[in-house]
Amino acid sequence: MSERPPLSSLHAEELAAQLPPLLVEAERVAATVTQGTHGRRRTGSGDNFWQFRRYQQGDAATTIDWRQSAKSDPLYIRETEWAAAQSVWLWADPSASMRWRSRDGLPQKYDRAALLALALAALLVRGGERVSLLGGSAPPSSGRPALLRLAATMAAQTGNAGLPDVPMPRSSHAVLISDFLLPLDAVDTALRRWAGMGVRGHVLHLLDPAEESLPYQGRVRFSGLEGEGELLVAQAEGLRDAYAQRLANHRAGLAAIARSVGWSFAVHHTNTPPRTALIALHSALARP
Amino acid sequence: MWTVGPLSFAAPWALIALGTLPMLWWLLRVVPPAPRSLAFPAIRLLMGLETAQRTAARTPWWLVLLRFVLAALVIASVAHPLLDAAPAAAGGGPLLLAIDDGWAAAKQWPQRRVLIDNLLAQAERDRRPVILLPTAPPPDGGQVSASKLLPAGDARSIAQAIEPHPWSTDHAAALRALDAVPHGPPMRVVWLSDGLEDGAADGFANQLRSYGRLEVARPAPLATAKVIMPPRADAAELTPKIRRAVFAPAEQVSVRAADEAGRTLARETLDLPAGAEEAELRLPMPTELRNRVARLEIEGESTAGAVALLDDRFKRRPVGLIDDQSDGAVPLLDDLFYVDRALAPFAELRRASVPDLLKRELSLAIMGDQGSLPADDQAALRHWVEGGGVLVRLAGPKLALHPDELLPVRLRGGGGRVLGGAMSWTKPMALALMPESGPFAGLSVPPDLRITAQVLAEPAIDLNDKTWARLEDGTPLVTGAPIGKGWLVLIHTTVWPAWSDLGLSGLFPQMMQRLLGLSQGVAGHVADRPLAPVDLLDGFGRLVSPAGAVEAIPANTQTVPLGPRHPPGLYGDEQGRRALNLGPEIAKLTLLTTPTGASVIELGAQAKERDLQPPLLAAALLVLLADMLTVLGLRGLLRRRSTAAVLLTAIFLGGLPQPGHADDDLGLKAALDTRLAYVATGDAQIDDTSRAGLAGLSQVLIRRTTTMLGEPMAVDVEHDPLAMFPLLYWPVTGHQSPLAPAARDRVNEFMRHGGMILFDTRDGGGGNSEALRQLTQGLDIPPLTAVTEDHVLTRSFYLLREMPGRSAGGAVYVQQGGDAANDNVSPVVIGGNDRAAAWAVDRRGQFLYAAVPGGEQQREMAYRFGVNLVMYALTGSYKADQVHLPAIMERLKR
Repeated sequence: MSERPPLSSLHAEELAAQLPPLLVEAERVAATVTQGTHGRRRTGSGDNFWQFRRYQQGDAATTIDWRQSAKSDPLYIRETEWAAAQSVWLWADPSASMRWRSRDGLPQKYDRAALLALALAALLVRGGERVSLLGGSAPPSSGRPALLRLAATMAAQTGNAGLPDVPMPRSSHAVLISDFLLPLDAVDTALRRWAGMGVRGHVLHLLDPAEESLPYQGRVRFSGLEGEGELLVAQAEGLRDAYAQRLANHRAGLAAIARSVGWSFAVHHTNTPPRTALIALHSALARP
Repeated sequence: MWTVGPLSFAAPWALIALGTLPMLWWLLRVVPPAPRSLAFPAIRLLMGLETAQRTAARTPWWLVLLRFVLAALVIASVAHPLLDAAPAAAGGGPLLLAIDDGWAAAKQWPQRRVLIDNLLAQAERDRRPVILLPTAPPPDGGQVSASKLLPAGDARSIAQAIEPHPWSTDHAAALRALDAVPHGPPMRVVWLSDGLEDGAADGFANQLRSYGRLEVARPAPLATAKVIMPPRADAAELTPKIRRAVFAPAEQVSVRAADEAGRTLARETLDLPAGAEEAELRLPMPTELRNRVARLEIEGESTAGAVALLDDRFKRRPVGLIDDQSDGAVPLLDDLFYVDRALAPFAELRRASVPDLLKRELSLAIMGDQGSLPADDQAALRHWVEGGGVLVRLAGPKLALHPDELLPVRLRGGGGRVLGGAMSWTKPMALALMPESGPFAGLSVPPDLRITAQVLAEPAIDLNDKTWARLEDGTPLVTGAPIGKGWLVLIHTTVWPAWSDLGLSGLFPQMMQRLLGLSQGVAGHVADRPLAPVDLLDGFGRLVSPAGAVEAIPANTQTVPLGPRHPPGLYGDEQGRRALNLGPEIAKLTLLTTPTGASVIELGAQAKERDLQPPLLAAALLVLLADMLTVLGLRGLLRRRSTAAVLLTAIFLGGLPQPGHADDDLGLKAALDTRLAYVATGDAQIDDTSRAGLAGLSQVLIRRTTTMLGEPMAVDVEHDPLAMFPLLYWPVTGHQSPLAPAARDRVNEFMRHGGMILFDTRDGGGGNSEALRQLTQGLDIPPLTAVTEDHVLTRSFYLLREMPGRSAGGAVYVQQGGDAANDNVSPVVIGGNDRAAAWAVDRRGQFLYAAVPGGEQQREMAYRFGVNLVMYALTGSYKADQVHLPAIMERLKR
């Protein structure tokens, strides 16, 4: 994943050609997370056996389990576990600032975001959930075709900055993976709107380690990736503390926004393995 | 010119620029280097941040220092510094440089070379023109002459080519050459003298002085050249004389004797007492070492005069071992092996056939038991013996059965006499004491020496006189008889242990030495033919090939004047050589007296002038490169990988590997894998079929057997080495021309040493034999026979009844019988069924040609034949045992 060419919009097709490896990698990561935390743990409509219960007045005769009832005098009803499929909307920020890495050997932020989103999708699909890409055109669907479509859409996506302004159906889940180098107001507005629709969600703040520590020295001319302009710094090491402070403030702001709408918030760096972030996301989703 | 200690500057004004360096310092400190450029997504967070330290951006101090050094280096190199430069000489006239380049100048030549270089470099700086005057006759046979007025640069390249000659200087001729030099403004006159007076040196110096103030460079008296006189050829020991110029101090000289390869054989030191002009040195050496001495030289003096070459008059006697090379000689089971061991320390041995041996002069010839010689060889040998040669014959079974004419005594026919053994009453017999009259007189006979068989001489009246050694019972063991001026000698038994212990005993080498003593040496005398130069001494006493105006020594000349026409060295031909030495030519060495009014430059006192400009410029370039890399690094434009690439390119640009020789490549390719090979015919279609056929066969072999074969190769029999291939497929097209002699020899060699060739006439058997005959003209094709059912070829892997190719029918021919040396494997297999076409497959494994008439069944048989053939070529005939299996089984049953 680290050996990908520098991206531009024209490279989307090229990226799509690399999809199977991305998918394979995602499924590999997903396989490290054990399935099983996802049942509803109560009776409901589903395929899995949950318990036998004594027949009571009003139960439909078709629900009687005759085999079990034949073993003794009372009649038994076979209850199955409630397995309601959720629809989960995934968003890996495709903006230009995500297509960046501080050094060879690290994945680009977008690569990591896409990997996490796909791996999560693979897990969810395996659990019978329906997934879709936030900002994509397809409705949530389940099964492996959904996974493939998700991967293809994700590869073809190119970036405009900012969160997509699209409605989500009620009681669906959203997973937002981005560096969130956006004005906090914009984030706040978007999240509140979704929360107002009854969407629950999870925010993963994904950063390159260099964005965390600002490891540069001497005279440096910084330039932004999304047309923010250039900045000449005489001594980059002198900015380090102030920058760290600003980043901490920014992150605290993000966390506060997420908390205020009841969403979860987590931080992930591209130099750490994707597995921990994936488990955290997955267990957050499994929570009722 | 401005001089500080050993350092001087040719253009000192350039050093003024050093004063601008402080300004450079200030300039560099103020202008900062360009910043690194970085893309950074979180730039939004950086916007508006203030740096805590508000120091101005500055060039780092070490970069300023680097550029400072760079500027200083450039300025210094423009000032053209010189190390150990000679101070400028006064006077504005040209430089007249007289150089003694005779043999004596070779001593201390490096010092002379330094002096010449310094003088010319100085002249170049002073813009003085130069006149060069070498005083020895030039090697092209021309006159001693002075050069024209030359610019110093041109004179330098001419002076580079001046080397000492192996003959004397001629100051008289140089004096005449000075007539052509016009008098003008006072010149600077320098004479590089070799320190020896030749009678005319005084007048020469006077004449030189008339051109200007004379400076004479001469060696210190002890460093003047010495000569070695060759020893007398007829003396028992080597006694060279050392001669030197007369002067007082005593000194020690060491003389080295070396053989032709330059190995030291002896080294002796000689004390020359004070005042002595010459002294004789004795070099006591064993004969065998003495025989090998090719040159005597004074150690530490590399001049032509310090070398005495020894020619054939000092040489040992050449011995020829007659070897018809009919069968591979096996050490320890071969007579000549013992002879070789016995005589190698004392004589120069040559092993060849009779005609080859007699081409060159020979003292002694030894012939083993090898059956009768061809009549013309026999006649040539007899003629040579009558002319003074000694022929020693060794008896053996072949001689016992077929005695010939070239013997000292008549032999009794019908085999020899056997002493001892199961069917005999007699015991192996010892030798009697050596007769007093024969050449072996006085040799002690080892008591445990036993003879078990011998050839017997027919009794005759003079047999007793001809007997040189006998057995206890009186039968002759060694007989000898004079023929013409030479001798015929017969040893009546074998030297190798078949018939006797003779070869193992210490007596045999002594006997061979006595026989060697019987032979004449190759006498050195005034030749009755012109002697062409072979190897000549150069000025430093090294042997080099003749060049220049060298002429042969005319016939019947006793004394030869040495000079460009006849430099010292070896002259002659295969018949004999004559050494021409410088020593006897030089009657007396006299030390040069320094001319009055001349100043003396001591040779060896000058350090070589060194120009520091090029290294300074190179250093400046390196610093510039380092600066560029640093700046790139500071701006973040440098990647580790690209830096390494640039550096490696720079390092290896000079030393690109030379492409290997094509022959080696082919040899390497052929040797690293076992491969089948086909002979390229030049017909593209046939060659393609051959290649595809062998490729198909190789695949079949790899699939069905344990043979691992590489890709088949095309071979050009005319040029390529063949030894690496087990099997050569040779299609006969009918348009091939017979092989060139060299290629023919190589193919014969290939077949003789276990190679196998499959000739394919490609005509369905029979016919085309005319084309085959033409192609194989001159090849050693053995007598052939058709392959029968019990030949190994029919069972080396598969059991075969038929051997078809693309066509069927027709016989396959192999060698009749077998050659034990080759494990009875036939060197040729000849057939006509176009086998390569049957084997041929294309890249996808499709067959290229149909096999007729048998179809795929026949193709399978063709493949099986191919497998059998390769197995036969690779494993030899061990499967032949199976041929006898029925007989063995039959016997076991009985």
